[in-house]
Amino acid sequence: MPTIKKTQVEFEGRIEEREVIVEEQHAQPWAPDAQLDIVGQPTPRIDGAARVTGRARYTQDMIGKGSYTGRFLRCPYPHARLREIDTSAAEALPGVHLIWHRDQPPPIPQFAGRDIFATELAYEGAEAAFVVATDARAADDALAAIQVSYEELPFVHNMAAAEATDAAPALQDLADNRINPDGSVYVRGSVQAGLDAADVIVDLGFETPPAAHCCLETHGSVVAWEGDQVTVWHSTQSVFGARISLADALGIPQHKVRAICAYVGGGFGSKFGAEVYTLMAALAARETGHPVSALLDRQEEHWVGGYRPPSRQRVRLGATKDGRLTLIEHEAWAATGAFGGAAPVIGGPAKDLYACNNVRTASWALRVNTDSSRAFRAPGYVEGTFGLEGALDELAGRLGIDPLKLRQINYADTSPSRDIPYTTKGLAQAYTLGAEAIGWAQRKQQPRQQGPWRRGWGMASQIWGGGGGPPAKAIIKLLPDATCEVCVGVQDLGTGTKTVLAQVAAEELGLPMTSISVVVGDSQATPFGPGSGGSVTLASTTPAVREAAQDVLRQVFDLASYMLELEESQASSLVARGGEIIYDPDPTRRLRFIDVTAKMGNYMIVGQGARGPNPDNKALNTFGAHFVQLLVNSDTGQIKVEKVVAAHEIGRVINPLTATSQVYGGVTMALGYALSEQRVLDPRFGLQLNSNLEDYKPPSIADVPDIEVLFVDQADPEANSVGSKGLGEPPIIPLAAALVNAVTDAIGVRITALPLTPDRILRALYTHKEEAS
Amino acid sequence: MTMHPFGYAKADRMADVLEIVGPDVRPLAGGTDLLNLIKEGLAAPTGLVSIKGIVALKGITVSDGALRIGATTTLSELARSPQLAASGYAALREALLVTASPQLRHMATLGGNMIQQPRCWYYRNSKTPCWRKDGRMCFAFRGENRGHALFDGGPCYAVHPSDPAVALAAMGAALIIASPAGERHLSLDAFYQKPGRDRREDHVLAPDELITQIVVPVPTAQARGAYVKIADRGTWDFALASVAIQLAVMEQSVTEASIRLGGVASHPWQALAAEQHLVGKPLSKEVVDQVADAATDGAKALEHNGYKIDLVHGIVRQALQRLAQG
Repeated sequence: MPTIKKTQVEFEGRIEEREVIVEEQHAQPWAPDAQLDIVGQPTPRIDGAARVTGRARYTQDMIGKGSYTGRFLRCPYPHARLREIDTSAAEALPGVHLIWHRDQPPPIPQFAGRDIFATELAYEGAEAAFVVATDARAADDALAAIQVSYEELPFVHNMAAAEATDAAPALQDLADNRINPDGSVYVRGSVQAGLDAADVIVDLGFETPPAAHCCLETHGSVVAWEGDQVTVWHSTQSVFGARISLADALGIPQHKVRAICAYVGGGFGSKFGAEVYTLMAALAARETGHPVSALLDRQEEHWVGGYRPPSRQRVRLGATKDGRLTLIEHEAWAATGAFGGAAPVIGGPAKDLYACNNVRTASWALRVNTDSSRAFRAPGYVEGTFGLEGALDELAGRLGIDPLKLRQINYADTSPSRDIPYTTKGLAQAYTLGAEAIGWAQRKQQPRQQGPWRRGWGMASQIWGGGGGPPAKAIIKLLPDATCEVCVGVQDLGTGTKTVLAQVAAEELGLPMTSISVVVGDSQATPFGPGSGGSVTLASTTPAVREAAQDVLRQVFDLASYMLELEESQASSLVARGGEIIYDPDPTRRLRFIDVTAKMGNYMIVGQGARGPNPDNKALNTFGAHFVQLLVNSDTGQIKVEKVVAAHEIGRVINPLTATSQVYGGVTMALGYALSEQRVLDPRFGLQLNSNLEDYKPPSIADVPDIEVLFVDQADPEANSVGSKGLGEPPIIPLAAALVNAVTDAIGVRITALPLTPDRILRALYTHKEEAS
Repeated sequence: MTMHPFGYAKADRMADVLEIVGPDVRPLAGGTDLLNLIKEGLAAPTGLVSIKGIVALKGITVSDGALRIGATTTLSELARSPQLAASGYAALREALLVTASPQLRHMATLGGNMIQQPRCWYYRNSKTPCWRKDGRMCFAFRGENRGHALFDGGPCYAVHPSDPAVALAAMGAALIIASPAGERHLSLDAFYQKPGRDRREDHVLAPDELITQIVVPVPTAQARGAYVKIADRGTWDFALASVAIQLAVMEQSVTEASIRLGGVASHPWQALAAEQHLVGKPLSKEVVDQVADAATDGAKALEHNGYKIDLVHGIVRQALQRLAQG
């Protein structure tokens, strides 16, 4: 019987107490030393061949014959008032089916509480009109034929401009650009007490740039109606989020909306529910009777597809001579766009990474004339770890204590902010593994200089949620030939979700991987699953799959005990292993799984399971440490990363192969953030100067160094019945800090702003030379 | 964005091309820049004529003491041609191999590479009416200019983006240019001219002209060369600064020196003071440092590109140290 229970779930740095409906749990957690056949084995992705051969079908591949193309006219200024818009010439062009704008609004004129086509346009790329035409060419010709005039308004393009005393408001009706003037503040102990107890104080400022997600598949939806039933193919991290938000936006029941996302080419936090383009495509498809696609191009992706907000931070640390932290104070400001995107929890790491009695974190968000920032892989924690771990490295230098040792001295055995134990915390083991692999203890004996190249080492720690939680459900259909369909309402973000779901089902059912198909990414074919954000997918869904598999087995065992002529009481001693159903006390009494299912005829066994609650009064977190060895060229400012060691504790590793890939991806993305990526906005025009992939520079394959991935790999049986935690975000968190700490070690100058492009390194060296002479 | 529509034809003979190319009908070779310019709304030709089928524009030969490279030779064909394996061509070979990405080098032709438009982000942004696009001023001058010119800037501060052009200039290359009126030969120094009031391109090629051949004097047995490029990213990136050096060394002493800088001016920049300082001297550490310093003689930094002064010192030093090691 389902019951209502309160459970705590950590999501992207915020602890939520959720009232959830939970079902009785049958699966006993796998013991840490359980002998598992498939879980824990390096397993190639079940859809790997489809992905690399181009057979995997993404949202754009769903544009069929007779489909119309929707495109937006977008504001070319950072802040403007739409004066007049005349679409008569555009409407007269061949192949143009409809145009919506402020003066000719769509049947549903609002989305998420705002006018879709407003008079005040507060960022470059704001929607001014939507055109639907037979194809992209006709749509673009129509866009060019729209007569539109704007009155340019004063704008603020960055935090300094937004904070200036005479700053223009990013939105006309507002007095200033502060979103939360009082800040979001957390305190334990007292700052003054921390300062009083300190022998050494470090007080540093840090800056991080706005960074684009750069999903290789841009945002977009393809929408088709069949009667009153609408199907949306949406590039998303949440098919259920897409279904619910589109049903809400259209004002139709949820069962009339089917959201599908078989494959998604990257989301990284920027793709959840239905968006303006989804609603426009849905309305236009209903209006024209044709499927309509609305897909962003690469420039639009930069203008309105989201970004990690830029941050400014001040970190003040106090410590005693022997390295005990007496104070952690972390203040952060972020610019989240004209309408204020999701405010990142930049102070999260400062609250929880170290044992310290006096902690204060405070953060403020500011409006600037850009589109809203969006969650971006470990939002806030990437920025906050950069500041905290940079300051800690500086403190280690001032104290003359090894940076790793300083972190070990201040190790938090229990959750500092919640004052409760962790289910497991493997950070100490991650330190040991990582330090050994990089040769941390021996690094002082290595050559420090080769010509203009100077070598340095750095490290940083990581904390993040990733424990997941309810609700999540799974359904397993057992077919007569002893094969299964595992149906879960999530999507495979590219992380290997489908493969690990299949592994867990195969393990529990004692069937081979080849007997399991996984259905995800379809809100109609699956029961509810969470959005793939906050690293929750695996830890939320794999326990539900175990429950569903056990439900299947209970039914199979009923049949098997009949066939094996067992007493009712003996049925509980049956086990499923290696494709057989075996009576454990007497293994000669056994059946092939297929012999049981063959008896079913067309009867189908359906098992269902739900994710249970998280443990009470336990903190569920993931941990890790990154170590970097690099060379800095003092002639050219180039950085050559020689080696990255990424050691992570995520509970049980279900699939070492996809987990390792996940870390490669996270580290590579972090390298871009640390070394080459930054959105540049021109102060005169307020426009993005690098809204492309040529001047906005994610790493190329030539920039990817040797990355050694290590896992503590100890099951966390209290976390959930699978013993695993998430890995989506942890590997992007500590790298930038570890890298900057290594650069500081190499050149003797601390750089406090990203990215570390050659100009920034040369300026640091040059200024340093001046100071030295 | 979909592209502005244009007519398309393939030509087999030079005469046919020369008859029709002009301001509105452009020759199309690799298309790695031109097609992007059309997509970005920065070029709107009414027609394109493919010149890739013209045999006379292809091939690499040696005659009359010069290496002759057909203008539509791709960068990758040239980089792996046996002729370029000789040590005197090291600067050009190295420059080719750090240009763009392997995929682009398979498409891009040497002639096209030399006349590509600058990558300046104000020029490339169709919303900013900069001087280069017939506007009134250069927005980089007081704007975001970390990538912009260090030498002889203004009225446009964009830098020439080609890597091979820097090496070719150092090697004393020339171009053969055809037009309906006949043929002319121009040294690269005469070909690349700073833009001015009456010409907003950084070269003197007229719309009805076509580069047919790049002519490189065969290096002497004493010649050595090197190319060093620094960019933000490991591949598929343009130079923040680069240098091509071509030297002749006899009995430990530099007898001839050509030093050209990329990414710092509207054309491959001749570091004249550095060249003069180097001739007649050995490649000692002291001389190398002095020459590196002299390479930025005349540099005028903008707000965000002052680091290029240090960077040029660094890459000149690096290139000369390599050459000193033989």
